[in-house]
Amino acid sequence: MSAPQTRCRECRHFNASPEVLESALKGLSSLSSAYATVRSDDGLCALHERYLSADSRCAHFEANSQA
Amino acid sequence: MAEIAERAGASLTSRPWVREFFRKEDWWAIWIGLGLIIVATALFGAGSSIKWLAVAPQKWSHGADVAAQLRAHGLQYGSLFVLWAFAFGIGAAALGIKISKFLPAFLAVFLVAAFIYFLGQWDQAAHYNLEPPLVALGLGLLVSNSIGVPRWLEPGLRVEFFIKTGIVLLGAGLPLTLIAWAGPTAIVQAAIVSLVTFGTIFIAARKLGLDARLAATLGTGGAVCGVSGAIAVGGAVGAKKEQVSVAISLVVLFAIVMIFVLPLVARTLSLSTGVAGAWIGTSEFADAAGLAAAQTYGGYSGAVPGITGSPDAAVSAFTLMKVIGRDVWIGVWAFVLSLIATTRWENTGVTTRPNPGEIWRRFPKFVLGFLIASALITLISRGYDYASYKKDVIPALVAPLQAFRTWAFTFAFLAIGLTTRVREFARFGAKPFYAFAIGVAVNVVVGFVLSTQVFAGFWNKL
Repeated sequence: MSAPQTRCRECRHFNASPEVLESALKGLSSLSSAYATVRSDDGLCALHERYLSADSRCAHFEANSQA
Repeated sequence: MAEIAERAGASLTSRPWVREFFRKEDWWAIWIGLGLIIVATALFGAGSSIKWLAVAPQKWSHGADVAAQLRAHGLQYGSLFVLWAFAFGIGAAALGIKISKFLPAFLAVFLVAAFIYFLGQWDQAAHYNLEPPLVALGLGLLVSNSIGVPRWLEPGLRVEFFIKTGIVLLGAGLPLTLIAWAGPTAIVQAAIVSLVTFGTIFIAARKLGLDARLAATLGTGGAVCGVSGAIAVGGAVGAKKEQVSVAISLVVLFAIVMIFVLPLVARTLSLSTGVAGAWIGTSEFADAAGLAAAQTYGGYSGAVPGITGSPDAAVSAFTLMKVIGRDVWIGVWAFVLSLIATTRWENTGVTTRPNPGEIWRRFPKFVLGFLIASALITLISRGYDYASYKKDVIPALVAPLQAFRTWAFTFAFLAIGLTTRVREFARFGAKPFYAFAIGVAVNVVVGFVLSTQVFAGFWNKL
């Protein structure tokens, strides 16, 4: 049995979609890009209002039903 | 075309490491740039050349000259558009951008870029300061900040995709031996400036009472690689969303100002193209912005009295300094700062275990394409003496690839202007502005001293 997934990438509060990031972080596409490898899989957490690594964890994890 | 990309993407979803090759624009810049180089090399090896497709405007004096060029080469320009539309279109579709929305937007970008490219070839262009990078940027800024950019145009404005493809192609014009010779100096100079700039911004921000995560995000934005540095470190340290927005806005604001200021000051001081390129490489924040400034300055060679060095020396020095000296270290900065954030800074309730794997994951992969391109052309050139290289290899192989690169850069410069909307900048307040401005001032002075005094003899040789 695999261990429960509790990282941000599987959390419903986390969004790493490039379109969403470029829309939320104005100016990002002017001199960089959400499709760049430097971004890795970072995304926005709607709960903490932070820009986080997809491998981050917190006590408020809620599984993304669509994952 | 869209179906091919979608099918490829769908079949790869179960293999994340393979998917990375198709879902990040760095890799697509490599596929496109190296693809063109390989085709050009194959044609050259067969005794032919890709130069028919790599059409570019020639010098002209009157409107009738332009009409004559278009009549004579119309089919080539049409074919060139099809080539770029196909290459960037497949890449865009794989990235998730609808091809039906990308193509009309890219057609507009291509047509305006062609107009700007032609304008730059006017024999009075230098007299009126109509350097293509500045015209592209200025026109874009004017449109986006006055009448606004129509929504249908937005999918075609992929600054980084264009600039990274151009940088891979740029590798074909820089021998590997030159990179090996100049790389260590570029790394030393860039390391000094990066550490000093980061330290200045970080300390100034902390003294002004700003949060450590904001200070680090601002610091890397100013010291390493602009907006890309800000998002890499913002994510690694878990910065607040508005902190990342503030850093992005400040970087873009200062980077745009520097595109105009650095070449202007360098021109006033009659710096050689190599020295000016090195200074721009140390003191500009983003690749696209710096290349606009460096290409502008390279254009002064031969056109502005007192400016010595070849036109390509400015772009070469910039690339060595910025790409090799600064960009490649972003993963190391992100890893080290995430380690410090986890162990030393305030607990945010979110845990991120620092992972050395981040160094590779965040590595700007297009740099690999740049190095491979350089190695390929160096290998091919080995069998030629200098005279044969100039007579045979440059016109049939290197020059057409340089023309492709200039097109890609022009698309990018136009897209920078069209995507920079001052009214959309995040409100950054006085303290972040002061912290960043202090760092920029220190960076510009230290970069200037290193480029024009300490390493001047070196950069003049480029």
